[in-house]
Amino acid sequence: MPGTAFGVAAALVEYFLGLGPAMMVMALGLGIADYLFVPPYADFTVFDYHDVFLLVSFPLVSLIVITLIERLRREQFRAQLITSVAQSRYEMLLRHDNERALARRAVDETHRLLRHLAQHHQGFILIKALERDAAARASVGQSTSYALPHAGDVAPGPLFDAVHPEDVHRITHGLWAGSHRVRLRRAQHGGEFRLTNCRCERFTTHAGDFLVLRTEQ
Amino acid sequence: MATVEFHPQSVAAPAAHAARFFSEGDSHAVLLLHGLSSSPLELRYLARYLQSEGFTVCAPVIEGYSAGTRDLPMERWLEGAVREFDALASRYERVSICGLSIGGALALRLVRARPSAQSLVLLSLTLTYDGWAIPWYRFALDWAYYTPLRSRYRYREAEPFGLRNEALRAKIARAMQRNAFSEVGPSTIALPALHQALRMARAARREVAAIQNDTLVIHAIDDETSSPRNPRYVIDHIGSSFLRTVWLDDSYHMITSDNEREIVARETALFLRESELAHGAGDAGGQPVVSKALARRLRQLAAVGRERA
Repeated sequence: MPGTAFGVAAALVEYFLGLGPAMMVMALGLGIADYLFVPPYADFTVFDYHDVFLLVSFPLVSLIVITLIERLRREQFRAQLITSVAQSRYEMLLRHDNERALARRAVDETHRLLRHLAQHHQGFILIKALERDAAARASVGQSTSYALPHAGDVAPGPLFDAVHPEDVHRITHGLWAGSHRVRLRRAQHGGEFRLTNCRCERFTTHAGDFLVLRTEQ
Repeated sequence: MATVEFHPQSVAAPAAHAARFFSEGDSHAVLLLHGLSSSPLELRYLARYLQSEGFTVCAPVIEGYSAGTRDLPMERWLEGAVREFDALASRYERVSICGLSIGGALALRLVRARPSAQSLVLLSLTLTYDGWAIPWYRFALDWAYYTPLRSRYRYREAEPFGLRNEALRAKIARAMQRNAFSEVGPSTIALPALHQALRMARAARREVAAIQNDTLVIHAIDDETSSPRNPRYVIDHIGSSFLRTVWLDDSYHMITSDNEREIVARETALFLRESELAHGAGDAGGQPVVSKALARRLRQLAAVGRERA
């Protein structure tokens, strides 16, 4: 069969370059095969059953092969696109997962803060909000029984008034999580100031970060 | 909030709705550029979402480029866009540019003219019209520009109007019949505008490699107007180090109104905030990575980046 080499060429071109070039190769191949490989050679003028055989068989076989390869290539392209969709969906999912994990952590911290407040309510000195808009965010959907501190502000606890004025200044301005020593006025000691160990804890809640300072009991 | 309603009054008075959209927010302004011969209306859902996320949002009407304005060459469109950008940049600390369709090409040119922009968002970027709904003889339109047809013929928008959502598509089809305009763009586009748009897209294509701003590309794989080859070209050639791509598969061209508009709006807002944080603007140091799966994925991506480098 004279057109075999051209059929193979067309199939390869189709695979690597696409439909247009493959059709071109097939058309050129048909002409060249007819001219060079169909007897009588190097002559177009004679038209007999050899030419008819080539004219029917070569385009038929090549077209079938090219069409099939083209369809597979299109499916392959489609599959690659769907893979990229899946990939971007997975990344979106992971970003959401991170948000969910953050939200859960904030909820846990809020519960810890609530337990902390309930447990140590006698020993409070102050609560300080760290984030600028924490108060605004906390005020959404909250019953306002407990006054939350404003921007970088402090909310005094039951023992706040008993703290030495110098320490008040110190702890309202520079407060960090950890232990502190604060001078507290004790009622049972005739109103004199005594150094007391205090603990400061940080809570990262959904409403922002809070520092809670309390006495160690 | 979750649906783009088609208001009857917009059918009655499209000119009123083609007005610019502006809403004051924080120090991060987003300039939204709509598609060719269209209006800020098609970006309404995205604009409202960004507004609710606290961004300053501006969707201007650009002389010559928007619907209902006279024909101008594309250099003048760019000048108009640059003016809008400068007006925002003088008032706000950060300005991001977001372009839909041909607006993406305009955004690419604008970001070349103003490299100080914070980030670039390309939605359904169109550099050539080569989607599956574009007929194979479309190239004839480019030639028609040089014939007397130029001022007579108008390219008519046909089904599916860039929408996969069939209910929405039916609404749009009715609106297009009654009126020259709808929320997903004009019913016809004049040939001179089309010619200028393609000139602009060619210019944008040449300059992609020089862009270094943070870039988000969102494109639908079934886009009927611009095939995925358009964003692929930008992804392969752009010089940005922070590049994120989101591929959608339940939308066509108008991704800001179609089935996945919520995802588009959310991912855009998220990306703009992350870009802010990546440039050290955030005070808290950004959202920490708590999810183990995300941390693993980020490590994988970092490893891939090191191998390529």
